Amino acid sequence: MADTLFYILAAGTLACGMGVVTARMPLFSVLSLLGSLFCLSAIYLLSGFQFLAATQLLVYAGAIMVLFLFVIMLLNLGDEAELQGHLGFSLSGKKGLIAGATALSLGLVGVVGAGYSTPFVANPAYERGVDDLNALATVLFSRYALPFEAASLLLLATMIGVITLAKRQRTTDAGAHPQSAPPSTDGETAA
Amino acid sequence: MITQDLVQVFDMLSEPAARMATAPMLALAVGVALYLLCEVIDLLRTARPIVFLGSIALSIFYELRILQADSAPGAVFDGTFIADGQTALWGILFLVGTLLVWAYSVGYYRENLPFKAEYDALILCTPVGMMLMVGANDLIVFFVGLELLSMPLYALAAFRRAKIESVEAGLKYFLLGSFSSALFLYGAALLYANGGTLALDALVAESNLATTGVALVAASLFFKVSVFPFHLWVPDVYQGSPTPITALMATGAKAGAFSFLIVRLTPLLPPAAAQTVAVIALVTMALGNLGALVQRDLKRMLAYSGIAHAGTLLLVVAAGVALGDTSGGEQAAWYYMGAYLFTATGAFGLISLLEADGARFTNLDALRGLAHSRPGIAAALSLFMLSLGGIPATGGFLGKWFVFAELVRADMIGVAVLGALFTVVALGYYLRVIAYLWMEPPPEGAALSNTQRPLTAGLATVFCCLGVLAMGLLPALFLDRMN
Repeated sequence: MADTLFYILAAGTLACGMGVVTARMPLFSVLSLLGSLFCLSAIYLLSGFQFLAATQLLVYAGAIMVLFLFVIMLLNLGDEAELQGHLGFSLSGKKGLIAGATALSLGLVGVVGAGYSTPFVANPAYERGVDDLNALATVLFSRYALPFEAASLLLLATMIGVITLAKRQRTTDAGAHPQSAPPSTDGETAA
Repeated sequence: MITQDLVQVFDMLSEPAARMATAPMLALAVGVALYLLCEVIDLLRTARPIVFLGSIALSIFYELRILQADSAPGAVFDGTFIADGQTALWGILFLVGTLLVWAYSVGYYRENLPFKAEYDALILCTPVGMMLMVGANDLIVFFVGLELLSMPLYALAAFRRAKIESVEAGLKYFLLGSFSSALFLYGAALLYANGGTLALDALVAESNLATTGVALVAASLFFKVSVFPFHLWVPDVYQGSPTPITALMATGAKAGAFSFLIVRLTPLLPPAAAQTVAVIALVTMALGNLGALVQRDLKRMLAYSGIAHAGTLLLVVAAGVALGDTSGGEQAAWYYMGAYLFTATGAFGLISLLEADGARFTNLDALRGLAHSRPGIAAALSLFMLSLGGIPATGGFLGKWFVFAELVRADMIGVAVLGALFTVVALGYYLRVIAYLWMEPPPEGAALSNTQRPLTAGLATVFCCLGVLAMGLLPALFLDRMN
């Protein structure tokens, strides 16, 4: 029963993944991605990872997908032509084929790499249920305390980077109207 | 049960070894936070350089303490992070590189840069990432370090966002960098499926699955250090990025990835991989050197030269894999990278000074007759070119010497001879720069605007020159520290 369910869900994940790249409208791509994430979280649930499944739904299917939809609605990227206008290039046709072929070959690398010989055996040291929240927290704050803390610095750096790149440039000239000033103060002393 | 776990967690975090091992990174992280705070509070604005220099100095102090301690902290946090003399030496290298890049940035942007505080804070984040990378003994720690190094660099590459080249460089670096991160994660997932753990010392490549995983992880590292066939992004990104940031990418990012590749990953590779790595290294050297020969843009030329140098360093990996012992290779790699750091940072820094002085294009023609108008810059740039080319009495020569000695020790004479031949080809374009500097007449009526040059850039140049000469003439000074 569980096996059948797994194959159905796996097929669903793949089909939705195909939908993401083949859909003509960005909105359908996002919805396909949502379906793919749902199937994936169901697979987690099936394997006994309740916490991971819930996080997947809350963070990805919930927060991040909503952000995607917001951006698409806000920029009015309803159809492909609109998207091409914004991006300046198209990912359909030959380029899409190349991108798909690359992804497929990467996937094949894994399958071939796995070969027929390698059995997937769980490490006995990790037999204790990973989804045990208590154990998860302990690992996060002891063994992985360092990367956990470093991740906060990483998020800070990412935030600073995004703000500097996206924020409307402050002008150094006093008196100039902030909105009308050209964003040319990039440090180059004009020759 | 829960209290027991909590006690265990606190014990691990308050261990003296753990504190000692993380102190250099903590100093920098606190520095980043303080720096941002100083920007917000008007009264403290003038304290920003003090905070920057202070946190770097404190971090170097902590690294020195690890280096000189009777018993280095070793593996901490359940063995996921290692801090010993080796990682401390690399850490000092990262910190010095970051400091030099900062010093040149002051001269490059002068005062009229919006988001200057953010720029400096991002620069200050990168050595934390590099330290995590070199000390990582677990793939998760390494990945966080890699991202902590890459994320600031993506933003910094696109920092001059009014310039289309800079934005293009940032976007290219970001897209390809994300691709390489994905490769790394894929490899890590395969390794986990194989061994059920992400700890590096348990990842012995014995099955097809593990070999594929190690290959994918290595491919992602090859991207970071710009090795064939993952080097195509380098010229465009190096050319478009602000020049001090190019220096950081060429030296710091490369040093971080290479340190991990040599110190941690090389012992895991099977001896059979030595030939493959050697071939990749030689192809990289050939492509880099031949590509540099035809460049007229200085930054592109140095980008191709950087690819060639990455190839040379990869030879150390090949030798280490063949020997099954990396102790000699680690020294050679550190020395080579140290010499390259001083030289390349100095060279990129001088180019950034010329750009700030009004040389609009970083073309070779901009150097014509520079010895007459700017003898100091011309002399320093010549020294750096000689070191990049590996002329005796410079650090570059001894670095190459150690690399080829390691190859000979691994009985790879043919590879060593081919590599030495490629470095001779490289002399062609390095000497051409010197010829342009000293032997060409200065162009008519193209006087550079003689603006005041900030003190920091001058100090950085002097420091780079001294570093190159010290590594070339007084190797004992550095080698004693390594043993």
